[in-house]
Amino acid sequence: MTKAVVELRGCTRDYGAVRAVDALDLTVHEGEFLSLLGPSGCGKTTTLNLIAGFVPPTAGRIVIDGQDVTARPAHLRGLGVVFQSYALFPHLSIRENVAFGLRERRLPAAEIDRRVGEALELVRLDRAGRQRPSELSGGMQQRVALARALVYRPRVLLLDEPLAALDKKLRESMRDELRGIQRTVGITTIFVTHDQAEALGLSDRIAVMNAGRIEQLGAPRDIYAHPRTRFVADFIGASTVLRGRALAADRVAVAGGNLRVAGVALRAGEDVELAIRPERVQLVSAPGDNVVDAHVDGLVYQGAQTELTARLTDGQRVLVFVTEPSPVPLVTGETVRLHLPADAFMLLAS
Amino acid sequence: MRLLLLPAVVVLAVFAAALGALFRWSVLEFIPGSLQTGGLTLANFRAVLAPQYLGAVRDTIVLSALTTVLTLVCAYPVAYALARTPSRWVRSLILVLTLAPFFTGAIVRTYAWVLVLGNTVVTWPVPMLFTERGVLVGLVHFSMPTMILILAAALSHIDPVYERAAASLGAPPWRVFRRVTLPLSMPGIVSGALIVFAWTLSAFPTPELLGGGKVKMIANVVKDLGLDSFNWPGAAAFAMLALALTLALLTVVGRVSTGRAT
Amino acid sequence: MLRAAVAAQLAFMTLPTVVVIAVSFNPTAILSFPPAGFSLRWYENVVTYPQFQRAAVNSVVVTAGAVLLALPVGTLAALALERARLRGRHVWASVLLSPLVVPGVAAGLGFLMLAAALGLLRSRAVLVAAHVALVLPFVVRSVWVSVRNLDPALERAAASLGATPWRTFRRVTLPLLRPGLFAALLFAIVVSLNEFVVSLFISNRVTEILPVAMFTYVVNYTDPTIAALSSLFIVATFVVVWLADRYLDLGRVFLQH
Repeated sequence: MTKAVVELRGCTRDYGAVRAVDALDLTVHEGEFLSLLGPSGCGKTTTLNLIAGFVPPTAGRIVIDGQDVTARPAHLRGLGVVFQSYALFPHLSIRENVAFGLRERRLPAAEIDRRVGEALELVRLDRAGRQRPSELSGGMQQRVALARALVYRPRVLLLDEPLAALDKKLRESMRDELRGIQRTVGITTIFVTHDQAEALGLSDRIAVMNAGRIEQLGAPRDIYAHPRTRFVADFIGASTVLRGRALAADRVAVAGGNLRVAGVALRAGEDVELAIRPERVQLVSAPGDNVVDAHVDGLVYQGAQTELTARLTDGQRVLVFVTEPSPVPLVTGETVRLHLPADAFMLLAS
Repeated sequence: MRLLLLPAVVVLAVFAAALGALFRWSVLEFIPGSLQTGGLTLANFRAVLAPQYLGAVRDTIVLSALTTVLTLVCAYPVAYALARTPSRWVRSLILVLTLAPFFTGAIVRTYAWVLVLGNTVVTWPVPMLFTERGVLVGLVHFSMPTMILILAAALSHIDPVYERAAASLGAPPWRVFRRVTLPLSMPGIVSGALIVFAWTLSAFPTPELLGGGKVKMIANVVKDLGLDSFNWPGAAAFAMLALALTLALLTVVGRVSTGRAT
Repeated sequence: MLRAAVAAQLAFMTLPTVVVIAVSFNPTAILSFPPAGFSLRWYENVVTYPQFQRAAVNSVVVTAGAVLLALPVGTLAALALERARLRGRHVWASVLLSPLVVPGVAAGLGFLMLAAALGLLRSRAVLVAAHVALVLPFVVRSVWVSVRNLDPALERAAASLGATPWRTFRRVTLPLLRPGLFAALLFAIVVSLNEFVVSLFISNRVTEILPVAMFTYVVNYTDPTIAALSSLFIVATFVVVWLADRYLDLGRVFLQH
């Protein structure tokens, strides 16, 4: 079992009548990249602030390396933080910014110089040392913020939506660079984001948060393939949620059809919610097992695929990603046949 | 649209005429005992440099400098609290307590200090009323609201995230202040200091009432010459000096504010 | 520790106020704190003293005159400053705000000399003119802030709906400028009522306004009458500022959020 570096035990944080974080329990392991993923207001940034020590919890404890640090102020926690706005000190040069944490630790000047040089090389900015933050682009500022947080080898690296301010292409390249640096340095990392694609691509584990609680915690593949709640199914990737009634342990009545569902044990007569990923739904020409008729409501061409919104006979909508070129002609208003594979269904908790 | 400025221009023209009259009198010869004047002369400005007057100028500059420094030190914590407090109630309290004295008028505020410094509340170990010490206290009190508001405005422009970043990097609160907050608030400090210094140079009611005739600043000399001795040319010359000093200082403020916009 | 420093400073700023109010109730003519009893005689004195009565009337007249002139003049100037195509707008702004910069004694003496040159030494007109000039910067500043926040699209919308320029001004512009106008009115009244230095130079016993009358009294007498008058001023100002903060949120006027 890998060592627990950061633990939150029953942490709650209230802002007046608003409960931003609700009795949260979380353990972060040595060397892992954990993402806190969720929409705005879900409490992910507040959780980060609790770990960093910027706000005290209303209840609960925060433990780092086995020590209760709940009462310890931020400047004594030995963590590295990268802020969403980077927060590079405008009145200091790049080198002085990166050296800030080392100066606080009273290291000798020569040592500081050396380490700053190394850190800037790590983020490929060794030539920008004398410039001011305002003279650098967003991407470069972000790399400086990273160097500043890593140079004194903190215990944990905390990143608050660091890629949010960058444009798409830059975000993707920074994402890869970030992962590379994290692997090289091997530092335990907690990453806050609202972008599920980012979380899926970077993390060892993802904590999906909603209304101050963790709805599901697990590896990216697990969360994607087995979302436990409707919220998680909707937030990670796209999905359709279908409502039906169980007929037997592995059969469900949906839209007039009798569908087989693999890997579950249902109770006959109960209402169930099943999610299915749009890329798993197939277009077929002939009727068969787990094939239902649907009416083509909308088509959105996206280049590599077409997003098809189809309506089942009972009015429920299904989202289908059809890889181009489509095996079957798609015309709005016409009927198509959809194959919903038995093993593609994900049973959601009610 | 531009014509809408006309009425204001008229008003300012009247004001300019007043300053023009001031200038004119400052270069006319003073005839003691009457309001008649002789011809053009620079004698009044030379008289300004006479030792008894120069003393007043020197005292004014020293007092203004001391006032500025003390006000800065006293106002900074209040300004910081005002800018950073999350509580609407605290902010209102500080604002009301800061602005109200601002609006009660010079006589009321100075009179209050006449009472406090005049052994009404406590008997002071050293005499306060009618001394430079007393005037200094009065001047600092007078300048606090201005300094607080200027500093608070500057501080409120500093994103609190910088202070958080410094803390996350290991700096305790005192070092966060010294290494981040203070340097970033420097433009506000300089503006505030220069403005308070410029205004204090022209201070009148405070030294007049609290100085009791023993402490003379430039403005008091102007009043003495103008309203008591009827030496209008001399008073005008002195007033021009005060005006010149103030303008010079405020030009510097203007340069600093626009030049240092980080 | 910050809290202690702040509390100490706030106490320093408020202490004199407390003392003045306390002293004003002292039954004897000796200035003592805490007061030896409770008496309203000094308030009575304030209200019945003929010079104060005359000065109060003067104050009201002069301030009313100054405000009635300065408000429209300043508002028009603020509109011009923001909307007109001006070369050197900053210069114009500085010029409009310049009376703030001139030392009171210089302005006072200057107005006195101007009045003498024009033979207007005993007239209230010069006093009002001076007040207008001194109050104008405050009016311009307050209204300018409001004008800057006024979206010109709103006035264009009114025009497209058929409103003449005057009706647009009356029904759209003026109401939207209300916060700025209110602040301007407040500032103008307060600054004019409390104006002392310039007024000292250009008024005499007949025309002097209240602060000048108070000054003369303080220099000559030492009873708590002025404490009583000051207390009235203080209470009135506190109420006004407190109301202003409640309705205008002064925090937003001075600070950035």
